[in-house]
Order: sequence, then C-alpha cells, then structure tokens
Amino acid sequence: MTNFLASGFGLFVEIFTNSEYLTMIFEGLKNTLIISLGAAVLGLILGLIVAMVKILPKNKFTVVPKAICGVYTTVIRGTPMALQLFIMTFVVFAIRGFPQIVVAILAFGINSGAYVSESIRAGLLSVDKGQTEAGRALGLKGSQTLFNIVIPQAMKTMVPTVGNEFIALIKETSIVSMIGMYDLTMVSKILAGSKYFASYFIPTTVVAIFYLALVYLVTLIIKLIERRLRKSDKR
Amino acid sequence: MINVNNIYKKFGDLSVLNGVSCKIERGEKVVIVGPSGGGKSTFLRCMNLLEFPTYGEVWLDDGLLTPIDPYLHRDIIVLSNTFKKMFDERFTDGVDRELLTEEIIAEIKHKDLLKEHGEGKDYRSAIKKLYKENLVDINQARAKMGMVFQHFNLFNNMKVIDNMIFAPVKLKKLSKEEAIAKARALLARVGLADKENAYPSTLSGGQKQRIAIVRALMMNPEVILFDEPTSALDPEMVGEVLSVMKDLAKEGMTMVVVTHEMGFAKEVATRVIFMDEGLIKEENTPEEFFNNPQNPRLKEFLSKVL
Repeated sequence: MTNFLASGFGLFVEIFTNSEYLTMIFEGLKNTLIISLGAAVLGLILGLIVAMVKILPKNKFTVVPKAICGVYTTVIRGTPMALQLFIMTFVVFAIRGFPQIVVAILAFGINSGAYVSESIRAGLLSVDKGQTEAGRALGLKGSQTLFNIVIPQAMKTMVPTVGNEFIALIKETSIVSMIGMYDLTMVSKILAGSKYFASYFIPTTVVAIFYLALVYLVTLIIKLIERRLRKSDKR
Repeated sequence: MINVNNIYKKFGDLSVLNGVSCKIERGEKVVIVGPSGGGKSTFLRCMNLLEFPTYGEVWLDDGLLTPIDPYLHRDIIVLSNTFKKMFDERFTDGVDRELLTEEIIAEIKHKDLLKEHGEGKDYRSAIKKLYKENLVDINQARAKMGMVFQHFNLFNNMKVIDNMIFAPVKLKKLSKEEAIAKARALLARVGLADKENAYPSTLSGGQKQRIAIVRALMMNPEVILFDEPTSALDPEMVGEVLSVMKDLAKEGMTMVVVTHEMGFAKEVATRVIFMDEGLIKEENTPEEFFNNPQNPRLKEFLSKVL
C-alpha cells in the first residue's frame, strides 16, 4: 500500500515537473479554453437575440422570427449535446480540412445560446414594466430603454443563471474528445494509455484539478460581477 | 394642444374606453376623477400612446400620433365604395344630395359599415395621404409630454442625478453640463438637493415622486400627465407631492391629473372630468362640478368620497 501511494505520488510529481507532459496538458487546456470562450461569446450573442425576439409583442412582422426562435430552443434543448456535435462534425461541416475547433465552437455556441436565451428572457421579464414605460414616456426609443434601463437591471437576475450555464458549458466541452479533438479530457486519455502511467488514476485526477480550477475561477468572476451589480440595492 | 378624438380601447373582450373625446388647451389644469375601473388611467395613457387606442385618433397640436380613423373624416367616408354604393341605391331625382350624404354618413358611422379592405383606391390613397401629412414621430411627441406614474418608476439602476439627466442628454436636448446644472436647480427646488447621488431604493415614496416630477420637468415638457401620483404614498407624504404639483400649476404648466384627491381638484383644476364605464359622464368647472353635479352616477360618487 505505501508502495502504491509512493509511486502514485511520484507519478503525480512527474506530471507537474516533466515539461513534455505539461506541454501536453496546456495544449489541451488551451483548446478547452478556446472552445469554451468562443462558445460562450456565441451563445451570449445568440441568446440575447433569441430572448429579445421572444419578448417582442406578437404581430405580423414578428410571427415568423418568433416561430424560428421557438423551434430553435425546442430542438436544441430536446436533443443530446453529443449528438448535436456529431451532426455538426459529420453532416453539416463534413468538409475536408475545415478546422475542427471552429465546428466545436459553433456546436457548443448554438447549444449554449438556447439555454442562455431562456435565462436572459427570464431576466428581462423580471424587470417591472413601469421601467420601460417611464423610459418611453420621456421620449426614449425602445432600444435606448432596453439597453440602458431594462438590461442593466435584468443583469441582476441574469448573471447567476447565465454564469451557471457557462460553468456547465466548460465541463461539457469535454465531449469533443469523442470526435477526436485534443482537449483536456483527451490529454487524460492519452496519458492514461501511455506506457509510463498505464493507469487512469493519476492523469484523470490531474485533469480534474485543472477543470476544477477553471470552474472555480469562473465562479469567482461571476461573484465579482454580481457584487458590482448589487451596488444600487444598498440601503 | 392635446386633442383626443373618439377613442376606444379594448383589451381582448373587455372594452375599457367606449368613445372618449377631449380637447386639452395650453395652460389648462384638467383633473379626471371617477371610480376604479372607469377608464381614467387608460384614457391618460392613451394620450402619450403608452396604451394604443383600438379606434380613434390622438393629436398633439398639428401632429397625429395614431393611425387615421376613417370614421372621423367625412371627406374620407364619401370616397369609400360603401358610401358610393349606398348613395347610388338611394339617390333619385328630387332627393337633396346634401341631406342624403349626411344621412348615409351618419348611418355608416352608427352601424360601423366601413370595411377593412375593398373600399377602393380613392379611399385608400386619401387615408394614406392624410396619414403621411400629419403623422409625427411618437418619441418626439412623448418628449413634449411628461408623465408621472403612480409607482414613480424611477430607473432603479441609476442615481437620482442620472435618472434626471439621462433622457435629455441621450436625446441631445441638453449638454451634460447643462443637464446637471438644471437637475441640481430642480432638486433644490423640491428640497432634495442632498439626494443627488442616492439610489432610488434608498428614498421614501414622497421623495421618489418629487424626483419623478422633476425628472419629467428636465425635458421641458409642454404638458405633464399625472397618473394617480399620490395613490401609492403614505398619507403623510401626500402633502409634499401635492405642493410640488400646486407650484407647477401656479407657474402655468398644462396638467392632466388622474387622482382621488378631491381637495386638489377643487383648488387647482380649471376643469374636472368624471369618467365611468369608459365614458366621460360629466365635465365642468370645479365649482359647478362639486356644487351642482348633474349626472346621477356622479352624485352618488361625490356623496361617497366627499
């Protein structure tokens, strides 16, 4: 037993000191970060657009966009992420030489957008209608009222749930290893299969620590934003 | 200055306004009273199009704020196929053209005979022309009409000073420096100079409402609409808000006030309107209105509230 632990500890140290392994891990981390960040930005933009379309009043101009947005959220939320990734990789972008990372960003961004849109919509609806009315009554345009008065207030309800969505997104990117992409999770698989480690124990633990650190960092950032937003609540 | 012409407002099956017309002249202080659910607030909110009337027109000076309501324009009605057909059917020698025209117009109005489609090209282009000639930008019109709400509706994400300067600066009515100077002067006038950097959540109802009033004044409005400005206030705070409103009235501001404060109506109003069941039931000077009411529903209402 002591022997096992000692050797385990040795392998642990080895991963963090051997530049070869470190390079592998950071290469995987870089890809995980790029996909997460890209998908988060895309998801936020898509989510914002979809949420705004969904809160528009129903009339002959909005009926088609509203229907499209409804189908989008229903389909995306109703099918597994892994399947969506497969469809994007092997059907939609089955083009030789098309960068896989872009496909991944698109797949995760489109997926994330569906969830984010619901969070944003809930946030926008949580702001009292009187705020919009007051803005419009002063002669402000609908967009000026939305961006300067409603959205800043909606942020308070939006940020925790959207943040949650991003945390889930970071971890979900691990399934890109299923289409053979080189991310953090893939690194753990490669290392585990290598002669030197020949076990999942140490590589998966180390990679888990990296994910944990990443998520913890994002959590801290969300908390910071939340605190700043609550400034106008102080009594 | 504001001309509300025969407006109807329906929310689904519920009809809240059933044909209300009212002209408000510059300098007037019009107070609208009546039982809850009588359409007072909806009527006020139709003036600056926060509610869109189902039928009827709203004009601000020479600017049209709503679509054209063909029933209000006899020169448009006579261009419609419905009118032409009825006229042809009924016209025989010896019938007075003028009289027949009046009769048919009255019948069309009464029975709602104009169709949405199929009234002919002349009719359509006349409506389009009138609309194009008179339509004004609703945002610019709203900037001329201040509004004060029952629930204050200060922007919760902004400090008091930003609440006040945001719209005039954004709409390029004032430079930021001018706006700040003006806001400070107005705050001092309502006794809230020290609240410049406070957030709305830290203020009392009376303070919020006074700020809402000066926020409306920042835009230099030609008229201010008050939608039950004291109804959400503690009794103690009603006085401070009413006194700001009375000062405004003295300065000659045109005001339209929906309220339950009969004392204010008696003291300040130049005209009092009683609304019930979506109609104006009585309209008079405050003396006549309170001392010599005609409408039975108004008599009952006054006996309860006075």
